[in-house]
Amino acid sequence: EVQFFHQSKWLVLLCIHSTSAPESPRQFDCRSREKETFSCWWEPGSDGGLPTEYRLFYEIEKGVRECPDYVSAGENSCFFDKRHTSFWAEYIMMVVATNALGNASAQFQIPDVMNYVKPDPPVNVTVVVNSSAPSPFLEIRWKSPPNVDVRTGWVTPKYELRVKQNDSKEWKTVDIGAQTFFNFHNVEHGLLYMVQVRCNLDYGKWSEWSNTIFAKIPKHHQLEKYFWIFVFVFSLIPLLTAMYILVLKRKVVKQCLLPPVPGPKIKGVDVHLLKSGQSEDVVNALTGNQNFPPMAAWTEQVEDFLLVSDSDEWLLTDTFASEEKKDIFIIPASLHLGLEIQCGDSTVDLNTWEKTDDSKEETKSNFLNTEPINLPIEKQECLSGEEVSIQPNTSYVDIQQRPTLTDYSRVKEVNGDTILILNEEEIPHGSDAVKVKREVSVPDDYSRVKEVNSDVVFLEKGDSKPIMPHDSELSKGFCSKMIANGYVDSVPSFSVK
Amino acid sequence: IFFYPGTVKMHMAVYLVAMCRAVPVNDLLDRASQRSDKMHSLSTLLTQEMDSHFPPYGRMQMPRPADCHTSILQTPNDKEQALQVSESDLMSLARSLLRGWVDPLAVLSTNAITLPHPAKSSISSKIQELQEHSKSLADGLDILSGKMGPAAQTISFLPYTGGTDLGQDRVTILNKFNFLLSCLRRDSHKIDSFLKVLRCRAAKLQPELC
Repeated sequence: EVQFFHQSKWLVLLCIHSTSAPESPRQFDCRSREKETFSCWWEPGSDGGLPTEYRLFYEIEKGVRECPDYVSAGENSCFFDKRHTSFWAEYIMMVVATNALGNASAQFQIPDVMNYVKPDPPVNVTVVVNSSAPSPFLEIRWKSPPNVDVRTGWVTPKYELRVKQNDSKEWKTVDIGAQTFFNFHNVEHGLLYMVQVRCNLDYGKWSEWSNTIFAKIPKHHQLEKYFWIFVFVFSLIPLLTAMYILVLKRKVVKQCLLPPVPGPKIKGVDVHLLKSGQSEDVVNALTGNQNFPPMAAWTEQVEDFLLVSDSDEWLLTDTFASEEKKDIFIIPASLHLGLEIQCGDSTVDLNTWEKTDDSKEETKSNFLNTEPINLPIEKQECLSGEEVSIQPNTSYVDIQQRPTLTDYSRVKEVNGDTILILNEEEIPHGSDAVKVKREVSVPDDYSRVKEVNSDVVFLEKGDSKPIMPHDSELSKGFCSKMIANGYVDSVPSFSVK
Repeated sequence: IFFYPGTVKMHMAVYLVAMCRAVPVNDLLDRASQRSDKMHSLSTLLTQEMDSHFPPYGRMQMPRPADCHTSILQTPNDKEQALQVSESDLMSLARSLLRGWVDPLAVLSTNAITLPHPAKSSISSKIQELQEHSKSLADGLDILSGKMGPAAQTISFLPYTGGTDLGQDRVTILNKFNFLLSCLRRDSHKIDSFLKVLRCRAAKLQPELC
């Protein structure tokens, strides 16, 4: 009994199962890959348990037609070839599902097949790494999908590519336009890159991305790197050597580049010594550490007189002169002695000679007397308060030019060995005396008379122009002779400013 | 020859005209197709922008392209047909379509400013740009057609009868606007395709242009 019951259940179950008419197809989609043909697909509904047949009918403009090709595009599809494809025209599609028990249909409107244009992805995508200087880049090439005819102008594909580092997440997308190549420069050495390309037709839908192409940028040439390191190190060595030498010999370099400016120097004079102000040392310096002979009272000495003559004959024949040891100074007529006391200034400062009120006449000496006392005193006076520029080797002082004696007619008086020269007012013009006067610039005023020593009037050189060179030499010689034979009664005590 | 300023000007004018004529047809066609390409790009963007905030029609309610005011013009609908049409006819078709959209573009432009749509400013600026391109292209094609046969001079009259007012309520306005944009997109695609076919055909000696 139980077994029979089970069997009857089975039968009941079998009887309950039934078929029905199919459901209408759902979803409808079309696609044109090249703007020449297109295909449409539908999703079938339930088939009602019975074999169901699907048919597609379309209406375009006028007349209803059936799908020309159910096979080429796969199951539940319809393929429209070139002859059956019209753009800018409306398709009204009807899909009918039919089985033994009934049918069902659905209608789909395709206003413009152009809206469904979606090409295949580009093909033959190649990526070549160009490693030329200065930086590498990717040469990307591709071809339009093979079913797209670009020769007629009917369809114009436009492309887009994208590049990504292998381990990065972001793509860099580039809009290409209608060309089929591109050089991508934003790459670095040693990295792996992925490249993809896609296209669209007439601003329709984008295709799928093409296959991914990998490209690796090689690392920097090791050799090149080593080369530059090599060059760098080698160029550094001479630089370091030069610096080392510079540091070692910095004093020499310093002297070379910045030669010391010579300070003022007086031979034998130590500037520092002068500054320190030890007068004795200064004096020694100035006089050149001469050891002056011991002083003897000059009064014990026999006075030597100098004879002045303007002719050689007198000199030679003068027994008096030859007897004594004395120096005879020959003054040629045209010679203008220049006895100059250089007291450190160009303007010969013989103010100390100037004694306007002094009219002392000493009978015993003439100005050329080697009598030491006068000269040194004068020298002293001259030198007092003045800096002296002395040439230590000769250690004399240049004495100012003296008036020349050319015209003895003007000699006023000869008293013994003294010669009185030049009474101012009596100087006639036009004679040598005038010359003398002029050259000596004998003044009209006696303010320029320095001293009247015995019968000799010392005239100040004043504004007269400088001496002829040989004059000075002579004068120097003259002076030196004088001094050499003269005595200095004391170390000239002068103070140097 | 006297040196008159007048004669100089005249010679200059003649020279300039001669220079103008020296521009090759290929170059002019290339420029024209670039302009039509830009126009089609703009119209495509417009429809996409409309759809982003406007629910697309139900499949049965979508306005039919046959309702476009330019549908009366017979045009080639596929590649074979297009390749068989003569250059002059292709030029005539392109010019006719361009001429037919002068008025509707003006209507679209005025209504875009007050369009009840979130992207109305962007839409409005694109429509203005479209108008400029359309005018420029029409002028260029007028010159080009002068170099072609008499058929190129023929322009079919495609009047727009939709009126300046798109409707009263928001839905109606948006529907009409959307419909016009779809018609525009269709016609800009036609113009672009015809001119590109023309360009390719004229450049037989220079296949790289295609």
